[in-house]
Amino acid sequence: MPISRKYLPLIAFLLLSVWLLWPPAEETTNAGASTKHPEQAQYVIKFAAGWAYLPDTHPFGIGKPLQGLKNVIRDFEARFPDTRIEVLTVPGVREYLVTQLGSGEAPDILNVNVENVWTDVQKGWYVPLDPFLEQANPFVVEQGDATKPGYKQWWDMFRYQAISRGKAAPDGLNYCLTFDMVETGIYYNKTLFAKLGLAVPETWEEFIAVMEKIQAHRRDDGTETVPLLVNIGAFNDWTTDLFFDQLYYDLLPGIDLVQDPTREPYLDGYLDWDELAFLHQKGFFSARDPRYREVWQKMRELKRYTNKNLMTDDLIREFVTQRGAMIWTASPMSYRLSGDKSLGFDWGVFYMPSFTRTTSPYASGQAMCVIGGAATQLEVSNSAIADTDPSLPMRERMAQSQRLKRVIEFLQFICLPENNAQIVNEYPALLPNIIGVETLPILQPFAEILDRRYTTTKWIFTFDLRFSEIQQRMLELYLTDGIDLDSFLHWQEQNIDAAVANMLKRKMPDMQRLEERWQALAPVRATMQDLPMEEPQL
Amino acid sequence: MGGKKTWLIHAVLVFFSLLTLLPFVFTVNNVFRTNAEFYHAFFSVPNAFKQTLSIAGGALTGDDTPIEMADEEGLIRSLDKKQALRLSLTNATRGPRLAWKVIRPYMLNTLVVVSLTVIGVILLGSATAYILARYRFAGHRALFLFIISTMMFPGVLTLVPSFLLVKSLGLLNTYWAMVLPYIAAGQVFAIFVFKSYFDGLPEDLFESARIDGAGHLDIYWQIVLPLSKPILSVVAIMNILGTWNNFLWPFITNTEGKHHVVSSGLFVLSTTAHASNFSTLYAAYAISSIPLLVLFIYATKPFIRGVTSGAFKA
Amino acid sequence: MSVRLQSPLSCYAIVLPSLVLLTTFVYLPVVWAFASSLYEFEIGADSHFVGLAHYGEYLGQDPTAFPSLANMLVLTLIAAIMRMSFPLIIARLIYALPTERWRYIYRIVFLVPIVVPGVAVQLIWADMIYSDFGLLNELLRGVGLSHWTRGWLADPQTALASIALIGFPFVGGFEVLIYYAGFSSIPESVNEASALDGCTGLQKFFRIDIPMVLSQLKLILILTLIGGIQGFENIFILTRGGPGFETTVPGLWMYFNAFSFQRMGYACAIGVLLFAIIFGLTLLNMKYFKSSEDLQGVR
Repeated sequence: MPISRKYLPLIAFLLLSVWLLWPPAEETTNAGASTKHPEQAQYVIKFAAGWAYLPDTHPFGIGKPLQGLKNVIRDFEARFPDTRIEVLTVPGVREYLVTQLGSGEAPDILNVNVENVWTDVQKGWYVPLDPFLEQANPFVVEQGDATKPGYKQWWDMFRYQAISRGKAAPDGLNYCLTFDMVETGIYYNKTLFAKLGLAVPETWEEFIAVMEKIQAHRRDDGTETVPLLVNIGAFNDWTTDLFFDQLYYDLLPGIDLVQDPTREPYLDGYLDWDELAFLHQKGFFSARDPRYREVWQKMRELKRYTNKNLMTDDLIREFVTQRGAMIWTASPMSYRLSGDKSLGFDWGVFYMPSFTRTTSPYASGQAMCVIGGAATQLEVSNSAIADTDPSLPMRERMAQSQRLKRVIEFLQFICLPENNAQIVNEYPALLPNIIGVETLPILQPFAEILDRRYTTTKWIFTFDLRFSEIQQRMLELYLTDGIDLDSFLHWQEQNIDAAVANMLKRKMPDMQRLEERWQALAPVRATMQDLPMEEPQL
Repeated sequence: MGGKKTWLIHAVLVFFSLLTLLPFVFTVNNVFRTNAEFYHAFFSVPNAFKQTLSIAGGALTGDDTPIEMADEEGLIRSLDKKQALRLSLTNATRGPRLAWKVIRPYMLNTLVVVSLTVIGVILLGSATAYILARYRFAGHRALFLFIISTMMFPGVLTLVPSFLLVKSLGLLNTYWAMVLPYIAAGQVFAIFVFKSYFDGLPEDLFESARIDGAGHLDIYWQIVLPLSKPILSVVAIMNILGTWNNFLWPFITNTEGKHHVVSSGLFVLSTTAHASNFSTLYAAYAISSIPLLVLFIYATKPFIRGVTSGAFKA
Repeated sequence: MSVRLQSPLSCYAIVLPSLVLLTTFVYLPVVWAFASSLYEFEIGADSHFVGLAHYGEYLGQDPTAFPSLANMLVLTLIAAIMRMSFPLIIARLIYALPTERWRYIYRIVFLVPIVVPGVAVQLIWADMIYSDFGLLNELLRGVGLSHWTRGWLADPQTALASIALIGFPFVGGFEVLIYYAGFSSIPESVNEASALDGCTGLQKFFRIDIPMVLSQLKLILILTLIGGIQGFENIFILTRGGPGFETTVPGLWMYFNAFSFQRMGYACAIGVLLFAIIFGLTLLNMKYFKSSEDLQGVR
């Protein structure tokens, strides 16, 4: 008897595991995208598709397992019997990227955020896509309709041109294929707004007033409500660009020094990294620059109404349980909220209200710009040209590689509207970037936001990863009253100095050209107030 | 008097064990909760359990009204009792089922890697420790220092060179890419523990064996290994735990993804879409810890005997 | 302890497999890393020799260097104190139970949490205890101290302490077992003698029990020190070392430099310094270890 008693828990465990782990019949039927054996395929292309479209997953635990990408891959493989596409899951952690790309072991198609790509482009780890984007998409051409976008240039197929072309690296080349879009919005608790008699704010002052009222409100059990749920990443990324754009927009005629001939029609007035570096050397973005001070002061004002713990990714619970009245987050939230059947309140979305002259004397009065953008950014890695001689220059390898040709064909294939729709619109989280693929109704508010003017610059994506890391840390310290504005600006100046020095060392831009343009624009700047640099008065 | 004291001790121990078990209970509890539930409350009884209970309660009282429930796609459906019960069970097991689909292929890989590693660590560790404990020879102390020092190298530092090494040896996408470095690093703590254990064994044992003309191999097989049984399970369990939890290395060295182990599989899971699908993630955590739990329950006695043997000191 | 001085060749032969593996998979990468600390080196790009410049830069110019060393010291010390106190008390309490059955049950109960992945534990503390509506803040609101509520991990005044206390009371793990082993090896005669001397309760705990588990305490101390100086994963997940550099430790900064900031050589220099610290501590400890061994011999 003692033996059987001893093994009772073991038996219980085994039974429990069998019960738990029994594979349900209905879900095992259509596993595996491809029926082809790898040995039959001449090209086995590894595709790290990114979180949103992984076959057989249930994003956010809602709905049926995803099939869209799998079906498109099946069609592609039917069309090219010598090719097999393997979908991999790859997290964008730096250790992974550095080891795999450095040794040529990475998947052929990666999904990595642009800031990681820019850091490494000069190493030949990524294949520039411009030569392909500037030519026709063969799958559009074979349909024979010359009026269709993509017949002349693959580029033409993309709906959000400014954002897609804004992904060009500092060397001017585009390594990212902007597959879809994500935009931020402020989700608000409509029920609570109605109860407190609040309207959606149109200006910064109204926004502050709304948040004041929410903060003063006590629920029946006496607890407070957090007006705005937001994390430090949003401050570091979104708020910086939005406030910067609000306060510097009027200066652009005097400080936008160079116009990139290919991108300018899409990115009007965009400040590239070399311009930011040059302006910083002229005294901008320092403690002496009153507009720059104002950017961070406004952020501190906003922080008064947010959650206390900024270093968290998990604020949704506070919104869902109505402890927070608004949450500033990205479009997939709509899908999550609509999938929640026990929410108990109505919600809506609005965009950050714009500054007025009351907010700041430097406010342009422009509506807040677009800061979101590419969600799934696809890159072609050095693995795609592994069939060529590594000692050759990139251009020649690209011209020679048969493997690359097939990889590009696959990317062109998934950009066809009929294929793209199957993938992007399988569930409403991200917005399609291909003309002819409609945005799903639930995401319509974000499509409207995306129609706004694109931001003046993207601060944390302009310089290196170190710049962003330090800005975020010191910003958090400043927002939590660890240091005052002057100390923060001191840190930030050093941070920009270091980032600029690193950029100049790596990329060696033509600063003389910028200086000439700077001189030429002096009359324009003469009419402007409170510029940080000392300039001979005209 | 004594009884009162015992109750006090129990009270304190129960209090601390509750605090300590909280993460464990939390993990297991979330296996049965949907993503939406997780966002409504961090910690509560799974809805599926509540539903099952209320359906069962309804059956007892003979209540025949149809039950309204959300199905897997979130649509509200009106169901009879039997259907409702089945649906609530389906909901409760959804996380584990999905998780199992993800980690099942990794379980076998884990088994291979963990077994090979633990065998290698025990064989090499005990043999080397035996020599270090029972013999003095030129370079003896330097050798021990050479081995023990490796515990002090920060792991991040060697990630890139180790990767380049494994690649240049042609070991990427094999079990050896994991097993060999694991044995190399894992044997060090084993040597440390085995040595302090062997240090405490009486020399007479070895002396008499040597007088009988036994060689190293005889002594190792006939004396060292049998004697070190209690400490074996300790070294084994600690090594298995270490191997089990290492996620980055298997992830990086399996560029084709065919030799992933559970930990690296979970790492992928936690950084992708599944991360927002908490029941899947927690179910994967829970499932992957079942073998460890079983191991613990059946190895605790020898384990405690091993720890008690006095080798765990400095 | 008697030892023989013979047949070195066969000894070398037996340790050879260990050494080959160790040299190949541990020392080779380590030597590579040590050498890299003398280069300005970035994976995938050209490198050039800079000598000891990185060491000078870290100790002389890097604003994170000394604050992060101080953070590391604080975190390691708290961890050491925690791991040497609570598990010790628990082990002593379990040891004091009259029946072996209960002792066995508790030993298992305190071992089980080991299987829970660290990420889950971090998540529980960050979201359930330290968040805006976490246990700690709700407790403060409940007793009318709502002006004390804060974002514990975000507030520069509390971030470091909050990280240090994650996992409180640190009794789920091997420590309890190791101390328990120490207590159970106390000879019955010692217990009886102390009882005769009228030495009971706390007095006995400090004068008899603790000295008997000193070597176990030392083992835990060494392991905690090594782990504390190298470890940073939990900080990376919880605060990334912020706000500011309030919770940054050198290991974390090394990680950022190696993989994010593209300064592998600089990261290696920080790693070498960390190694030097641990090595120094271990040498100190070994010296002490030897003397305590001698003491035992005298007794």
